[in-house]
Amino acid sequence: MKTYKIHVNGVAYEVQVEEVGGEAAAPVARPPVQVSAPAAPQVAAKPAPAPQAAPAPQAAPAPQAAPSGQGEVVNAPIPGTILDIKVQPGTTVNSGDLLLILEAMKMENEITAPKAGTIKGVFVTKGQSVNSGDALVEIE
Amino acid sequence: MDKLNELMQRRAVVEQGGGERRIQRQHSAGKKTARERIDYLFDADSFIEIDAFVTHRCTAFGMENTEAPGEGVVTGYGTIDGRLVYVAAQDFTVIGGSLGEMHAAKICKVMDLAVKMGAPFVSINDSGGARIQEGVDSLQGYGDIFYRNSLASGVIPQISVIMGPCAGGAVYSPALTDFILMTKYANMFITGPQVVQSVTGEEVTADTLGGSSVHASKSGVAHFVGDSDEETLDMVRILVGFIPSNNLETTPVYITEDSPVRTDEILREIIPESPNRPYDMRDIMRTVVDDNNFFEVHKDFAANMITGFGRLNGRSVGIVGNQPKVMAGCLDINASDKASRFIRFCDSFNIPLVTFTDTPGYLPGVDQEHNGVIRHGAKLLYAYSEANVPKLTVITRKAYGGAYIAMCSRHLGADMVYALPNAEIAVMGPEGAANIIFRNEIRDADDPMQKRQEKIDEYRNQFANPYVAAGRGFVDDVIDPALIRPTLINALEMCITKREGRPAKKHGNIPL
Repeated sequence: MKTYKIHVNGVAYEVQVEEVGGEAAAPVARPPVQVSAPAAPQVAAKPAPAPQAAPAPQAAPAPQAAPSGQGEVVNAPIPGTILDIKVQPGTTVNSGDLLLILEAMKMENEITAPKAGTIKGVFVTKGQSVNSGDALVEIE
Repeated sequence: MDKLNELMQRRAVVEQGGGERRIQRQHSAGKKTARERIDYLFDADSFIEIDAFVTHRCTAFGMENTEAPGEGVVTGYGTIDGRLVYVAAQDFTVIGGSLGEMHAAKICKVMDLAVKMGAPFVSINDSGGARIQEGVDSLQGYGDIFYRNSLASGVIPQISVIMGPCAGGAVYSPALTDFILMTKYANMFITGPQVVQSVTGEEVTADTLGGSSVHASKSGVAHFVGDSDEETLDMVRILVGFIPSNNLETTPVYITEDSPVRTDEILREIIPESPNRPYDMRDIMRTVVDDNNFFEVHKDFAANMITGFGRLNGRSVGIVGNQPKVMAGCLDINASDKASRFIRFCDSFNIPLVTFTDTPGYLPGVDQEHNGVIRHGAKLLYAYSEANVPKLTVITRKAYGGAYIAMCSRHLGADMVYALPNAEIAVMGPEGAANIIFRNEIRDADDPMQKRQEKIDEYRNQFANPYVAAGRGFVDDVIDPALIRPTLINALEMCITKREGRPAKKHGNIPL
């Protein structure tokens, strides 16, 4: 059992995290902390809480590193390397326009815009390796 | 005369369905009624209705006083391009098109007729689901339909059109049929949004849970989506035009003006020089078939694999191909499932298969392995091997490793295999192969990088071409891309009398 101190919106919480071995340690999709009850300083989540389940908002990574969730996110369809990026935040695109080129399986895969809109974020850089499902671009 | 008047009156009541008000509600939602859909689907004035006067016999929960003209489903037969087709269209204006004992009995009767007569069966679904008041009788109704769907599979083509809600047990009759078409506004799910939310807490709308775009792209449940009732029914007519009426017939022949010896120099340009550049395989398919008329099936699902129908000199063929433009044309779980089911449909109904190969191999990944790419990929091998219709293959570029075998190679029984001059048929790509075969030489070289490149080039020159496979007779000929159409038509005519027996068995055990 480990105790962590976590700050959420300026309120400090003490969270006890217990490590459970084996399969049961899979993260469970649940609201991480009862934010609506600041009076409860201790939240001892019963079934295998994931340590990363309660990220501190202050520690949010640099802008552009994660989709805002407002637009449509284009994900990598296949693991590979970013060969070229044709758009930047603010670029207006039409549906079907080339966004970037993902080299995978020795093929220069053209990743195109699924819809028309403005590029809200580009989450990868040239030469970066990505996994299938990684967010590449967000279009709003 | 009184008796005749009574008949006319009774028929008028049935034809009014749920009445003017409900018909108007259907229209204002942009939907046609069951009868309008049938009229639109069939050749003009060809529809003959049967069982118009069937009534339910439920007396529970006030049902004894509930009139259900036509029992909420219109059944009968008619013609599409002059060919006999049976239909059952649920009528949402009559107690929500709900399925009870007699409603199901009407559907079962036309299904039985369709099987006996050897004609396609089209089911138009627009129903709130089981008629709860009838209890277990309505479950019996669903079960009877599922049973017939299963037994008719591979005997007559079965086509389901979803033009309204289709939830719970109702989804499984369509799921058992050969093709599912959905109108844009239709939904399909086993458990609806409310149930999902109460059980798992996930908030979803009917559209994000089981809308037409979800089923067309993610789940692969829907083969076609139409923007309107008209467009969807038009697609049914087109589809029927490509397929025989039953498993003993050959495909219908449509006379074409398109010359069987047409050559296309554009085919020399479509495939880029560099093996790393993508292109759209559908451009090749469209160019090759009659009148450039390629009717794609499952367009948005597993787009790394292409399936669809076309005609070669008037005769339908089922076309399967890798799509280099999407995920490099890799084979994966969904692509294997999509192609296997299509191949088995074509084989069931004597539709020759034409395969276009350009694949670097199976998609590597933990996700793929854990979700059973072994199990799913095996379906493709099974489906191609099992098929004994004429099988023609054109290797347009890459054909590597297991994926080469899987894409209807000579080894799985292809009757004719052609390769284009730039084809690369080998056990693996030059980079990978050089690293393994010449590992020691590369390591010990003064300049390993240069040595490696030398060996890659050596391997490419020696093996990444069509002539090694042609030298073994695995490829029957290497052809000019401009000649793909006349070559395929010639081979198809040559194969038209193909007879290839299989040992007698109950049925095989395809890895599911």
